[in-house]
Amino acid sequence: MKIVVCIKQVPSAGDAKIDPETKRIVREGSKSVLNPFDLYAVEEAVRIKERKGGEVIALSMGPESAKNALIEALSMGADDALLLCDRAFAGSDTWATSYALSKAIEKIGDVDLVICGKQAIDGDTAQVGPGIASKLGMMQAANVLSVDAVSADSLTVKRMNERGYDVLRLKLPALITVVKDINFPRIPTLRNARIARKKEIPLLKPADIGADPDKLGLAASPTRVVKTAPPAVRESATLNIAGGSGEAAAALVNELSSRGLL
Amino acid sequence: MAERHIEGYHVEIIPPKQDSQKLEEDLALFASKLTRIRGSGFMASITDNAMGLLAFQGHECIEELGIDIDPDKILIHLNTFHTKQNLEEILDECRKLGIFNLLAISGDGSTRLPKLRPEDVDATGTASVTSVELTRYIRKRYPEFNVGVAFNPYEPEAHEFEKLKRKLNAGASFVITQPIIEKNAIVDKLIEMYPDLPVTIEAWMSKKLYLLSDVVGYPIPEDAEFDPIGTLKQLEKDYPQCGFYLSLLGFKTQYPVIEEMAAERAARE
Amino acid sequence: MKLINEAEKNNYKNVWTLSEFTGGTVHPVSYELLGAARALAEAKGCEVWTVALGNIVGGEAAGELIARGADKVIVLEAPELAAFNDELECNILERLVRKYCPEILLGAATTRGRALIPRLAGALYTGLTADCTQLEIDPETGDLLQTRPAFGGNIMATIRSAGFRPQMATVRPKVMTALSPDPERSGTVIREQLEASDLCGAKEVLESVETLENTVNISDARVIVAGGRAMNGPDGFRLLERLAEKLGGAVAASRAAVDNGWIAYPHQVGQTGQTVQADLYIACGISGQIQHLVGMQSCKTIVAIDIDDTTPMMKLADIAIKGDLFEIIPEIIKELEKRRG
Repeated sequence: MKIVVCIKQVPSAGDAKIDPETKRIVREGSKSVLNPFDLYAVEEAVRIKERKGGEVIALSMGPESAKNALIEALSMGADDALLLCDRAFAGSDTWATSYALSKAIEKIGDVDLVICGKQAIDGDTAQVGPGIASKLGMMQAANVLSVDAVSADSLTVKRMNERGYDVLRLKLPALITVVKDINFPRIPTLRNARIARKKEIPLLKPADIGADPDKLGLAASPTRVVKTAPPAVRESATLNIAGGSGEAAAALVNELSSRGLL
Repeated sequence: MAERHIEGYHVEIIPPKQDSQKLEEDLALFASKLTRIRGSGFMASITDNAMGLLAFQGHECIEELGIDIDPDKILIHLNTFHTKQNLEEILDECRKLGIFNLLAISGDGSTRLPKLRPEDVDATGTASVTSVELTRYIRKRYPEFNVGVAFNPYEPEAHEFEKLKRKLNAGASFVITQPIIEKNAIVDKLIEMYPDLPVTIEAWMSKKLYLLSDVVGYPIPEDAEFDPIGTLKQLEKDYPQCGFYLSLLGFKTQYPVIEEMAAERAARE
Repeated sequence: MKLINEAEKNNYKNVWTLSEFTGGTVHPVSYELLGAARALAEAKGCEVWTVALGNIVGGEAAGELIARGADKVIVLEAPELAAFNDELECNILERLVRKYCPEILLGAATTRGRALIPRLAGALYTGLTADCTQLEIDPETGDLLQTRPAFGGNIMATIRSAGFRPQMATVRPKVMTALSPDPERSGTVIREQLEASDLCGAKEVLESVETLENTVNISDARVIVAGGRAMNGPDGFRLLERLAEKLGGAVAASRAAVDNGWIAYPHQVGQTGQTVQADLYIACGISGQIQHLVGMQSCKTIVAIDIDDTTPMMKLADIAIKGDLFEIIPEIIKELEKRRG
């Protein structure tokens, strides 16, 4: 079984302080980490490989520093890693990102299963996984809770819904996005971490994956940010409730009720 | 057995982080520090995912790099953020290496770190595994380990002494305090209450005293003046019967001074 | 679809919403979408259409959708639509969009919508903005301006999809306001049939299971009652559980409480625990160290109860009550019981 895991490097929250004016937490300085939801995707891919044999390829798109996210995937047990890294990819929205990743998956060839994390914590859109599936004409299951049966041509999964779950049979090749309840990602051993750091990670350009340059990057992206603004400031006045316990409790319940919180 | 922990210094060292971008360099540095501490006859205290930041395990580094150690002079921190399988592996590997000194702490978690469940350590009557349950489990399953525990003089006093009692009942045989920077009444009381219990005092070796704000529970200004070596010397006078655990020790300038202090102390004794 | 020129925009008309059904009833978010769509249609001077896909939609549901703001309801009923099937619904919607050419398409950011709508946008080659909190028509261009929080809520980004149609956006439940039903409103039901090609590449749904598990999931809870060191032991948390139950919420804890073994780690909020975004967060005896605050600062309303009114949490809170937890909390429970009658 050939499995591709799509992963993303995202900014992690740095140290936090409280802004005395707005009472909001301000995070200072940030470094990059592997998107936390993608850890579950990598872990699930490696577990399927351990059960069924095959190979796991970690795929990402981003600046050269995104290699670090791929190294983490390799340390956890992915066999190979590829990075789409070129100016032409820069500024891609979720549509153009899905396009680029789908072309890379086509290029890898004979892929049975694509696994993504349920969403990336920087954008929180959850759009890239289904976007890839639609471009590759693959069956998809988003928010997968467990992968139950794996055969050469199909996959049975439990997919979360709002009242429980659905049991789905997907014909391969297919794409799934996984939620964090699916597994507990392993922590790499020092031995595997050292081996991972010695692996070569090829950097791929649009031509290497046969992508149409007119469908990549900011210029080809259907959505465009036209304005940014700070969010509404948190109501910073504290309402102090005093008095005996009974009175205070009644005052609180009244207040919550008038704010529509009960 | 107990006296081991009080003589000389404990030097804290932190294994390379999982996300290190210069892992080989960090490993070489870790090995050289460990070798240097061994040469000085100090105890090397190796942390376990300190601050919830993912790092490699001390025993892994020792094994993988084949570092020559004096196992009696190694203290491995062990927190409650592991899978059961991982816990057993750590204990087995420590035994293989001849390392029998552990410091059991609750530790810092993160979403990336699994938490031991009560059933993993045969604990009942608790909702979460703390250093008490961990200590009890290790002492029961692997009685050959010496298990130390933490003591925090900044917690409400009655609460902390009651917790210490439970830790000692669980089988802990030595104590390491949170950092203090002057004679501390609660620590005095600890020594008085348990005259036979080896107590090691953590001494803060960084000039950045404000980093202790969260530990002590009140804000220390960022520009607070602090002389770590001078403070350590005073603490040694105040607590001649205690060992000292040196955290954030500078290996370039502070370490040679500590070596001199150890030599003077040895000469005195 | 990517537009070839500005004039092509005129081929796309009306604001569409995708209505959602759970177990044969209309999901309330469908009405909220109609409320948002109505405002946009008013600005554009066009109609609101909604698409209702299901095994049985029924005349009553279609009537309700009209009463809540739809001018036209496209109904497609088929037994294959009983459970959510991404490929099948995507195929149908792609066909309908190409047939009727809506200018704007709004969907719900539910687990279903968040799987289906990006697949549809991918197939149509058009823009999609997730989790919008504000939607308006740009008076100059007539395009849809879609505002959403970005970078963990630290910034609000406004997004436009100028050269592509339809302009698509999803909205989380309870963000937009539904209109009160107006039984006088009139509208038309358009019936569409399932076509064989819709089933192309569709998966098999083997079964749907409803679970009523009460698993700890504080990260999704709307109301959270959290306790700290001052809860003094596991019994303190029993009290919080009673309060949480009255409020339909979940119980959380600070690290100090978890470290003392009073409550299990999955309940821990903060830097080394969970991050929560509840509508209401009641902090009981939690002083509010920064490690805890980073995990709960995005909660909409924060209530703090503590004997000490100088703590960071008491100062940060929207509502602060100084006093003895063990007296006040039982009183709050009593008060809530009284109200419920």
